[in-house]
Amino acid sequence: MSGPDDSKAAGDGFVASRRTVLALGAIAASTVVTVRPALAQTAGSVMACQIPVPGPQAAGSYIAQDGSAVAAGTPGAAPPLSRPLTGEEAKVLLRGSTPPGVDPGAAQAYANYIRRLQAGMSGFTCYASLQMPR
Amino acid sequence: MAALRYIADAEDDVRAVALDGLTLLYHAPSGTTHIVASPAPEILAALSEKPADIAELLARLATHFDFEDDAAAEAIGARLVELEAAGLVRRA
Repeated sequence: MSGPDDSKAAGDGFVASRRTVLALGAIAASTVVTVRPALAQTAGSVMACQIPVPGPQAAGSYIAQDGSAVAAGTPGAAPPLSRPLTGEEAKVLLRGSTPPGVDPGAAQAYANYIRRLQAGMSGFTCYASLQMPR
Repeated sequence: MAALRYIADAEDDVRAVALDGLTLLYHAPSGTTHIVASPAPEILAALSEKPADIAELLARLATHFDFEDDAAAEAIGARLVELEAAGLVRRA
């Protein structure tokens, strides 16, 4: 069965009636609530979160001893890690130790990179989770 | 000055469950769960692996949605700040 459909132009590939109005919300309203790991998650899942060193915004960069991302090949800087650190490995680094597979000479640079992570950088939420008391 | 550009992780990295008008998101890279309301899921989908500034993001969303807000750019900017603070988007 097909009803009258006078309004649809012939050859128009779009179905206008499927468009919906997207309410963007008041500027001050919040649309995101983060469930804190201490409430919702086991320690295991926090320890399995990932911190890329460096993050995608600085892919390929080396990491200076102070934790900043510097040009590839910079003398004294550590090369990027080939895979993201897990939360557990990050915790080991932040304690001043070296997790397996990480060059001990570069551990301090990587630890400082993690400490300098800010909101919005890949891995920040993982780092923040590590700081939370449980 | 160039406008800030944002990007979200691949959809494979974010497990989404619709929940009675809200959406539960499990962000695997951070191991964190978020409860989000519209338009957050729509923004994340539009930015998934595709960086954009606010104007580009609005243009992408406008291909699927109409907006009822007069101050769409300001509202989208506020949503991006929230999503960035939650670690769901980052600066590209």
